[in-house]
Amino acid sequence: MRALSYQGPYQVRVKDKPDPRIEHPQDAVLKVTKTAICGSDLHLLHGLIPDTRVGCTFGHEFAGVVEEVGPGVTNLKPGDRVVVPFNISCGACFYCKKGLTACCENSNPSSDVAGGAFGFSHTTGGYDGGQAEYVRVPFANVGPMKIPEDMDEEDVLFLSDIFPTGYMGAEMGGIQPGDTVVVFGAGPVGLFAMKSAWLMGAGRVIAVDLQDYRLDFARKFAHVETLNFKDVDIVTAIKETTEGRGADVSIEAVGCEAEGSLLQRVLGLGLMAEAGASTALNWCMHATRKGGVISVVGVYGPPWNLVDIGTAMNKNQTLRLGQCNVKRYMPHLLEHIRKGRVDAKGIITHRFSLEDAPKAYDLFSKKQDGCIKCVLSPHAHA
Amino acid sequence: MNPNARNIPGYGVDADPKNRPGFPKEESPQLRGDARGTPSRQQSDAEVFKHGQPARKMPLVFGTAQPPQGVSGMLRRLAYKYPDHWTRHWMMLLLADRVDVAEHKLRRGLPRLAAGAAALLVGGVVMRRLRA
Repeated sequence: MRALSYQGPYQVRVKDKPDPRIEHPQDAVLKVTKTAICGSDLHLLHGLIPDTRVGCTFGHEFAGVVEEVGPGVTNLKPGDRVVVPFNISCGACFYCKKGLTACCENSNPSSDVAGGAFGFSHTTGGYDGGQAEYVRVPFANVGPMKIPEDMDEEDVLFLSDIFPTGYMGAEMGGIQPGDTVVVFGAGPVGLFAMKSAWLMGAGRVIAVDLQDYRLDFARKFAHVETLNFKDVDIVTAIKETTEGRGADVSIEAVGCEAEGSLLQRVLGLGLMAEAGASTALNWCMHATRKGGVISVVGVYGPPWNLVDIGTAMNKNQTLRLGQCNVKRYMPHLLEHIRKGRVDAKGIITHRFSLEDAPKAYDLFSKKQDGCIKCVLSPHAHA
Repeated sequence: MNPNARNIPGYGVDADPKNRPGFPKEESPQLRGDARGTPSRQQSDAEVFKHGQPARKMPLVFGTAQPPQGVSGMLRRLAYKYPDHWTRHWMMLLLADRVDVAEHKLRRGLPRLAAGAAALLVGGVVMRRLRA
């Protein structure tokens, strides 16, 4: 099959790879029809995630058609169309049974820092991802959700990760009616966090980013106020617009490659003396009021970060962080899509065949051509 | 308050935390999806590393993509002897990643290097014969 293949930092190619196969009775093999590039794939591309091996295939947002199932999969059959959560979850362990499907202890031998996930290095279990023609889906009797007959893959593709993640970011903020919510990062996850904040009854939602085109998109897609941190001191600007106190809730949807501090980028990305730049985290702490809540869904990798934890402590803040337990959110958010409350596929700006994946990565990484979200079609011709 | 907020489609439908799927954070334990109980153990000959927490067992299912190889594989093997709350575990893995890239470039370049070396050798022999 053809598949994306990581060749080293900033280098991906599309190469021939052996087809995936059933390795466990609860596996399925999926023919991937749609797959997306996530902002967190860029951390892999940039060589920031430990144990990213040459030859691995990225891709944790995908949908497709079941090609083959193992004998332990009784709720799916070949031909079923499904969208798959990025978490690999057994459904039966201590964490899965409590609903924390991102924390499964039966899917990742490599580390205790995360549960198993598709296409996100051996740190999350060493599974090839879905930026390929076919993918192995472990625990296929638990994760995949069938796509309703009257919907297409693009309608539901983002239920695999970014819509639930943005929603969980807002949910962890404990948003109460009338709250002022600041969302750091106007990328795809941030956009869904903004929409979700409105679903939860926020009074004001303010988006923060560096790219003017992303802030323009956020205003149209999510009806938010916007601030560009290249134009203002962001903490001062947020405090000035909130009676000097700061936001009730800040949602961090940026992650470890944040712009905005040369020191953090040198330490975190240049020298790798910390796991990426902590800029956005520290801004959250300073821009949120005392007693407020900071919700973090941006991806940070090991080993550690230089974080202003003393400020958070002194300000009596609540910090909530987590990888999204996608399975819990899928049915609820599918209803939001069906009822037209959230136009999930409205964030797709670019579509490519799989063969053009390196070009797609380049565009997405450099934020060119107004790129918000790229979707690849592995079985379409270039 | 944003004066246009109430005109936004779906505004406030999830205002009650009980309507939110992630509330409460931890639910009463129950099997998820179509899980029927503890899964069986995956059987594989692939070399898969388990991080160095002695109390932790190998999980039942694991990825087998890109088995370790070469010098980078040796570094990874060593890195995984350490628990994942030790910095050296992660720094060694990052080093192994860079060595992995260099090894792959060398392997890709080896046929060309070999052809070049052979050409130099043959060329050297021919030149010596011509001078003789």
